[in-house]
Amino acid sequence: MISRLLVWLLLAAAFGSSAQAGDSPRVVTADGAITEIVYRLGLESLLVGVDTTSGYPEQTESLPKIGYLRALPFEGVLALKPDLLITSEQAAPAENLERLARAGVQVEKLPSARTPEAALERIVTVGGLLGEAEKAEVLASELRSKINRIQQASATRGNPPTVLFILAAGNHSVMLAGEGTSASALLDAVGAVNAVSGIQGYKPANREAILASRPDAIVIAESTPGQFEIGSWPEVERLDAWQSGHRLVADGMLLLGFGPRLPDAMAAVNEVLPAPSNVAANDS
Amino acid sequence: MVLCVNNVSVSLERSRIVDGIDCQLKAGELLMLLGPNGAGKSTLLKAISGDLPYGGSVTLSGRELGQWRPERLARQRAVMPQRVEVNFPLTVEEVVQLGRPKIASGRSDLVVDELMNELDIGHLRHRLVPGLSGGEQQRLQLARVLAQIIDSPGDRLLLLDECTSALDPAHQQMVLDLVRRLAKAEGMAVLAVVHDLNLAAQFADRLLVMKAGRLVHEGSAREVLTPELLDTVYGFTARVVELEEGYPMVVPRRRGPSSAYTAPVNPSCRQAS
Amino acid sequence: MIRDAAGRLGFAPSLVVALLAAALVALVSITSGAYPLALGDILSVIIGREASDPVASMVLLEVRMPRFLLGFLVGAVLAVSGALLQGLFRNPLADPGLIGVSAGASLAAIAVIVLGNTWLGGWLAMTGEWALPIAAFLGGSCTVLLAWRIANRSGQTAVATLLLAGIAINAVAGAATGLLTFYANDEELRSLTFWTMGSLGHAGWDDLLVGAPFMLLALLAAPWLARPLDAFLLGESVVGHLGYRTDTVKKAAILVVGLGVGAAVAVSGLIGFVGLVVPHLVRQLLGASHRVVLPLSALVGGTLLVAADSLARVVVAPAELPIGLMMALIGGPFFLALLLRTKVI
Repeated sequence: MISRLLVWLLLAAAFGSSAQAGDSPRVVTADGAITEIVYRLGLESLLVGVDTTSGYPEQTESLPKIGYLRALPFEGVLALKPDLLITSEQAAPAENLERLARAGVQVEKLPSARTPEAALERIVTVGGLLGEAEKAEVLASELRSKINRIQQASATRGNPPTVLFILAAGNHSVMLAGEGTSASALLDAVGAVNAVSGIQGYKPANREAILASRPDAIVIAESTPGQFEIGSWPEVERLDAWQSGHRLVADGMLLLGFGPRLPDAMAAVNEVLPAPSNVAANDS
Repeated sequence: MVLCVNNVSVSLERSRIVDGIDCQLKAGELLMLLGPNGAGKSTLLKAISGDLPYGGSVTLSGRELGQWRPERLARQRAVMPQRVEVNFPLTVEEVVQLGRPKIASGRSDLVVDELMNELDIGHLRHRLVPGLSGGEQQRLQLARVLAQIIDSPGDRLLLLDECTSALDPAHQQMVLDLVRRLAKAEGMAVLAVVHDLNLAAQFADRLLVMKAGRLVHEGSAREVLTPELLDTVYGFTARVVELEEGYPMVVPRRRGPSSAYTAPVNPSCRQAS
Repeated sequence: MIRDAAGRLGFAPSLVVALLAAALVALVSITSGAYPLALGDILSVIIGREASDPVASMVLLEVRMPRFLLGFLVGAVLAVSGALLQGLFRNPLADPGLIGVSAGASLAAIAVIVLGNTWLGGWLAMTGEWALPIAAFLGGSCTVLLAWRIANRSGQTAVATLLLAGIAINAVAGAATGLLTFYANDEELRSLTFWTMGSLGHAGWDDLLVGAPFMLLALLAAPWLARPLDAFLLGESVVGHLGYRTDTVKKAAILVVGLGVGAAVAVSGLIGFVGLVVPHLVRQLLGASHRVVLPLSALVGGTLLVAADSLARVVVAPAELPIGLMMALIGGPFFLALLLRTKVI
């Protein structure tokens, strides 16, 4: 990774690109989780811009926003004169990424993380790109031990508990998380299973399907805090899991980002999962 | 013959509106088509205009209408529909010039200028059509259709559907006088649908009377406009007066008691008063 | 001097003003953007010399240049299509968006994106990189034809029916688009967002290569329809009386609109209001003759879209607003003001 950075530095020097050759690189991140990694590594001083999915930590507010990571502007990014753009494979349009690369910006598209292992690997990758590989390794192993502890705890449960995972985005509508989503990946990580089967991706919620799912726990991811109003969703409130307090309403970026806060997300979900005895009780 | 109509029939939505019409029109002749509402006059005119499919045969200069190339036909035959509604801001001059596709716009066109003056719309030439009165719009449309064929070589046929319906009496006279003059001077054949029997008597060379899709009378004004015909075709009683100008005038009789008509008094009104 | 005898702006002076405005907006759109370029660098690139900023030539020649050209073409085509449809339907409300042409075009394009790997695989294999514009073109043409068929009864275009048909077509196309969205996977969804919002953000020479031939063809064909379309303003039967082949004219206009709007939607997604506002403005100022309306709509439409795009990319820099949104923001209030001021359509 460092060698790659060196190559880039040489390239930048060859292009005669202003005086930053010796300084720290100017970095733009376009992906909430990647931005979180940069902050967690204490490298936020390198950041010159972030995308609109980067809302954590709050300090990101003061950085220039380059728009949505799926509609990245070419000139807007280039105007920040970045040396490095770190983004995920969701970034688009491809034309603009390719142009940025040709304009001398090192564009790194990292794969989306869907397992704790991939999330940790991404941290190491980002650290490497920013010349702080060791620091990243330390962070990764620290997070790994937290994750292990949570997973060991959840492994003691016999039957995997079922979880209804709801995404509250936009007004008056919620989406159910199905297979192949970060939500189901998070449930995997804590040894739970999705209470709703047969859906691919996020699909608008069917109220009856919510009642029929009879989950052991409910997790609700909000895209803005306070977005989910339980009053509008009596069928969720009616569920035993909600009544018995096996419920979690939390920030979507925390739960679904698979960034450095993954252990926190896993711990939060794990907390509301019923203890082994409860699972058995519900099954009967 | 400029126009030969042979056994023409038109059916609309399965009912026969025009039923086996025969008529002919020669150059310079002004033929007016009369008949009560729903007699099929406008439908016949639309068939000859190419707006409606018909059975039978219609020839212009001996050639079936369908065999003409449209752009050639447009130089010999001009049609003024009953209503032309213009919603867009075109000027009077622009609309008249639509009849002159060969002349580039903006170029002054003597024919157009003269026609507009003759029809008393020369002073309106730069006005927008949607703001004009109904009569002004009617004269403007007539100018457009006349401009279309007036200087074409060969036979010319002018089809007019109630071209004076929105005009005041002075302009009615002016317009029909112009049409008649042009027919005679230029040898144009004119077929006009009219409702005003007296205008027909005054200007037509020959009258055709239709009823229920069929031709019921044909001849000069004096032959056609008789009290008997008015009664059988239109169902109203009238005197026909011979004017010293040389054509007859229809004077309808008033229906019901002609004097001292007393309206029945509403009892509730009486009480109130 | 500027106004003619009818109190309208003269054609020649207006043409000059419109050309100047187009040139000005070209200058603005090429010299301004989120990325700051020194005037010296811009001049160097234009005269073909090495600029001090190594990316200057790329920003100018590979990004701003094609984006300007594409934006101008799309704006011109949308405005001309609006003018054609309004003449054809004798109705100033007939705009590609309102009668559902844009929705039809984008539905076809979205279908290619979502079903390209499965049901429509044969289509992709057949048309290659032209798959999207051709599909959008077919979708657009079919929709115009449908709206026409529904609204046309015995030679008269029923205005209310046309608008109702447009609403229904938009609803059906919207629902079908929604259905496709429902089945789209994440990657396909990513391409879809661009279609529904309208954007020039990715514009490059390859888009121009794909879309420009269709759009230029539409723009070059339109003037041939000017005279018969003037006749259309007097009613459909008058078109035939004046010696034009009514059916041929109609089909040609539908083809041109389908071609132009289809290609425009294919390269820039859904951009509304240009087709409605621009011809209306031109008619107000210069009259309704299509020989005036068509060329000036093209110039004004292109200029307006490029101006809106220039604004859209600097107003929230370094991010960009979707151009469709920007157009509606500018066009909506402007159109309302125009309606308040004028009585004649």
